[in-house]
Amino acid sequence: MNEPPEPISPYEAIPIRLRVNGELRSGAVEPRRTLADFLREELSLTGTHLGCEHGVCGACTVLVDGEPARSCLLLAVQVNGAEVRTIEGLAVAGELSPLQSAMRDQHGFQCGFCTPGFLMQIQALLEERRALSEAEVREELSGNLCRCTGYESIVRGVMAALGSGADG
Amino acid sequence: MAERSPVGGGGAARFVGASVQRGEDLRLLRGQGRYVDDVRLPGMLHAAFVRSPLAHARVVGVVTEAARRARGVVAVFDGEEIARLARPRASIPGGTDDGGPPVYTLLATDKVRLVGDPVALVVAESRYLAEDACELVEVRYEALPAVVSAEQALDPKSPPIFEDLGGNVIYGPTTKAYGDLAGTFARADLVVQAKISQHRQQNVPMEGRGIVASFDPETGELLVHAATQGVNTTRAALAAQLGLAAEKVRVLAGDIGGSFGLKFGISREEVACAAASRALGRPVRWIEDRGENLTVSGQAREESFEVEAAVTREGEILGMRVQMVVDAGAYPGLAPMVVDSVREMIPGPYRLQALEFSATVAVTNKASYVAYRGPWAAETFVRERMVDLVATELGLDPLEVRLRNVARRGEPPLRMVTGPPLAGITARESLERMAELIDLPEFRRRQAAARREGRYLGVGFATYLEPAPGPRSPDSPPDPGELEHQRMRLEADGTLSVFTAQMPHGQGHETTLAQIAADQFGVDWEQVRVVVGDSSLSPAGFGTGGSRFATMAGGATLHAARELRSKVLEVAAQLLDTGPERLAIVGGLVVGEGAPAGGLQLAELAAAAERGLLPVGTDSRLEAEVTFDGGESGWSGGTHCALVEVDCDTGRVRVERYLVVEDCGEMINPAIVEGQVRGGVAQGLGAVLLERSAYDPDGQYLSGSFMDYLLPTATDVPHIEIEHLETVRLDPDVNFRGVGEGGMIVAPPTLCNAIADALAPLGARITEQHLPPSRLLELIGTIGG
Amino acid sequence: MQKHQEDGRVLAGGQSLIPLLALRLARPALLIDLARIAELARLGEWEGGISIGAMVRQRVAERSPLVRQRAPLLAAALKFIAHPAIRSRGTVGGSLAHADPAAELPAVVVTLEAELVVASSERGERTIPAADFFSGHYTTALLADEILTEIRIPGPGPSTGFSFHEVSRRSGDFAMVGVAAAVAVEEGSISGARLCLTGVADRPVLATAPELGLLGVAPDRGVFEAAGEAIAARLRPPTDLHGSAEYRRQLALVLVARALRSASQRARGDNEDRREGAPA
Repeated sequence: MNEPPEPISPYEAIPIRLRVNGELRSGAVEPRRTLADFLREELSLTGTHLGCEHGVCGACTVLVDGEPARSCLLLAVQVNGAEVRTIEGLAVAGELSPLQSAMRDQHGFQCGFCTPGFLMQIQALLEERRALSEAEVREELSGNLCRCTGYESIVRGVMAALGSGADG
Repeated sequence: MAERSPVGGGGAARFVGASVQRGEDLRLLRGQGRYVDDVRLPGMLHAAFVRSPLAHARVVGVVTEAARRARGVVAVFDGEEIARLARPRASIPGGTDDGGPPVYTLLATDKVRLVGDPVALVVAESRYLAEDACELVEVRYEALPAVVSAEQALDPKSPPIFEDLGGNVIYGPTTKAYGDLAGTFARADLVVQAKISQHRQQNVPMEGRGIVASFDPETGELLVHAATQGVNTTRAALAAQLGLAAEKVRVLAGDIGGSFGLKFGISREEVACAAASRALGRPVRWIEDRGENLTVSGQAREESFEVEAAVTREGEILGMRVQMVVDAGAYPGLAPMVVDSVREMIPGPYRLQALEFSATVAVTNKASYVAYRGPWAAETFVRERMVDLVATELGLDPLEVRLRNVARRGEPPLRMVTGPPLAGITARESLERMAELIDLPEFRRRQAAARREGRYLGVGFATYLEPAPGPRSPDSPPDPGELEHQRMRLEADGTLSVFTAQMPHGQGHETTLAQIAADQFGVDWEQVRVVVGDSSLSPAGFGTGGSRFATMAGGATLHAARELRSKVLEVAAQLLDTGPERLAIVGGLVVGEGAPAGGLQLAELAAAAERGLLPVGTDSRLEAEVTFDGGESGWSGGTHCALVEVDCDTGRVRVERYLVVEDCGEMINPAIVEGQVRGGVAQGLGAVLLERSAYDPDGQYLSGSFMDYLLPTATDVPHIEIEHLETVRLDPDVNFRGVGEGGMIVAPPTLCNAIADALAPLGARITEQHLPPSRLLELIGTIGG
Repeated sequence: MQKHQEDGRVLAGGQSLIPLLALRLARPALLIDLARIAELARLGEWEGGISIGAMVRQRVAERSPLVRQRAPLLAAALKFIAHPAIRSRGTVGGSLAHADPAAELPAVVVTLEAELVVASSERGERTIPAADFFSGHYTTALLADEILTEIRIPGPGPSTGFSFHEVSRRSGDFAMVGVAAAVAVEEGSISGARLCLTGVADRPVLATAPELGLLGVAPDRGVFEAAGEAIAARLRPPTDLHGSAEYRRQLALVLVARALRSASQRARGDNEDRREGAPA
């Protein structure tokens, strides 16, 4: 067991470096700053949305080292050295990704506020390359809240993306 | 199936009636939407509110010194300071200031009246620092007993929430009567009585409220980025409350993360932030957090009804006597308006002959009453639950009772006893079609067999009408405030710009208006630019709400596009030295006799008009302005049906099938229609099974997080089967009708009726809307309740 | 830890602690992040069972073939914890040390008679039987200078079946009541049973075969229902917004019977899987 470090002033900025959507980014953050706030405020990646800031709604879901995670439940200092992907990183060379296209075809979303969290959660699911039934998809998405759609269009979009065999 | 649009001037309809992809999605799916929380202005400050921990208390003192000295704090305003900067409400159309009592301030000063009542505003360099400083504001309270139910509020001995109101009743009791009530009760074979109630629930858009207000001391202008359902309404309210000339206020709105009625006008907190920006000369931003949203943004639906129905043995419902009590929460809001709508709409599509309706609105120490998707929905809940109670009492099938009472087109009097005409309704057709779709006799056999195995299946129906906007009424001409204004312009690059006062917040208006304009004008829908969200460009109009969009904005767009097309063809005829009747616009080109072989590009035409190449006296402004009164309009409506199974060991409800047969007129974009229907149904199912805004006896709010206010998830909402009925066309041109509210209005009674049907053998009589598992076990007597 | 006993908090996955910080309900002066200590993230064999480092992510444990094989009850219960995006950060040890009385993992380790290894820089390691670890709402036998480092779960006994059943308001919510059950069936009669309930007291509530009247009897619906009734009768569960004490007692009654039944079926090799009342 290592000896723990001395406490750091809550206002002292700690340097961090991470890869975001493939680009090396660095910053200096207060220990209490969440990853979500770091992405939105310091990196101006406002595509990631905050819907509850207590880990329930899933709107802020991003991929951390390939796994979906709530960026409101992570401190920016915890992802030092990690690989983070956000909704801004989905499109390929400016074109909608297969997942984004499937969602557009199916009218997946309405107001768009929950969209980033759903897309990143679904992206992780697609990358697992598992065959999933509609019921399993619903279960996998049950940690993401949407108030507009009643979910059917989103589930259809996922089924279409799964069916196309796309993983990105 | 959807009908195709009539042939427009530009040729056959190509876009209206098709589920074209949404233009909005190109930015939203890429994370490039711009919501109010994404706005960054130079020098922007961040606001946070100090809020009351008590439901009802006198404010004895507010000490802000420590907070003012805290790190990063720029200013702290207590209620008194804000009261000198802004008024609590506005006397504008849609505002809540009727000039009468109660008197109160924008932030609390003398008293706090609900948990979360804002007491002071902290403005700092970051939200983290603003929240830190809020903890340093010391407020001394003297607790008062809380009034937490309408029943308590109606007790004359309850402590007054507003001293100048002379009690805790803010409206009523009022009574209105229609038809020969005494006669219907005298003729009745039976009077069925029930006390039916709805519970408190709320909008919960995924994006809360928010504002970035920026006052420029040099020009005296206030620029506001808002999340609002109508930039004009927000602008008028802000100007009135801050004492600014309306021309000095500009309201911008970008993408909006849902609203469902919540974001109309402007809230107390948002006005306070604008006042702070004006006082400080710097931009001030406030983004509501989820706790604030759930606790104080507003709640709805908490209404109870004493109902007596005079019925015949055959199931004919002759007359109803209804007493409504609304628990309207703390500050004045929408409740009196809702009372009027509930009263008017309660007969629904049925041939009710008489109604007596009285209503009282009480003030309580809870969140204020706001509009929530179908604010008057209680009329459908009460009526449709009552129909089933009547059926049970008479031993008839509820579907049969509905068919016996529903109005038949062509048979007078085709109007509700309360006045509204029932022109064009397809309620009967929707009931008949639903009966076919579910094969009711087969379901009843299956239900009986399941019961023998101790399994409880149920079927429930409910029928509704949605005034979206409702048919033209000969006795009430359209209110000037309800007219839809629109401007359309052909730009120099050939783009068609549509300026609307509508403010989409998820409904895809940028796409649907483009579809209509494109068909009528003769261009590709992607060539149409729908301009929303800027009060300096918006025509007059209150914005999006009340399911008015499809008819009103759709109709205004249709007429504006036709007018502009005529104008463009006139200009083209001048340029081409031919007659306008020989020309048409097809696929973005002017074609016809006299036009160049490949057609004349609209951009070329616009450029020529701009360069003044036209004869003197030609109106070369390629712009049209129209005002639309809704034409003949009409109802949306239909029947929903749920098939459920209740696990009587755990109280869990499984929705086996959920079906919708509906009529919203001519569909502009079926995928968008179905999205609205499904979204509304999801909220309605949530209300019954999951969602409740709960308070304890001291007025503490219990549902202040997403762990306690339970929104439905993907595993809670079933697949929803939808069938669209062929519509009765009432207007020669515009038969698009709104579809935003119907799902939410009718899903709760549909599901409650199905659950009641499932539990009927166990003796449960259901007269409430919230039926979580524990409550169902109480109702069947498995546990005490 | 030694230095910051008063105002420090250990940060494991953060899926419970960070919300408390965000809501300003916890305000530690120091957060100690254990994520960089590699040895706390080990998952491997231990005697016939498994050893799980306290910082093993729940999602990693859930996907581990070793966990499925050696601790099927744990594998079953992990799927009930919140949602994938929470489990990808949340840790096995974090959930145990947080000791939420509604959480799944405390009931699992108590049912399986796991040993919890804890360590302090001053005094080194000690081992606490899972049954002695949970001492109340969000309280454990951990001393202020100790952290949980490892969970040792014995391998499944012969002819033993396991099941985890729970009822929550929605998929992924904390359950109102959950039941972890292990039943051994030999030659047509029950040779051992342990079960543990969540959500009904300030800590997991354990019951064993003799208390349940199950020892030596043939597994059938009647005896499991009787066991459910016997346990429910002695519970004094809490009331909250989502369910009254009486409702929780009813759920306990029903779920105990259901969990015992499916565990006994699995003991006999019938691997039918069931989820409570999840809408199809």
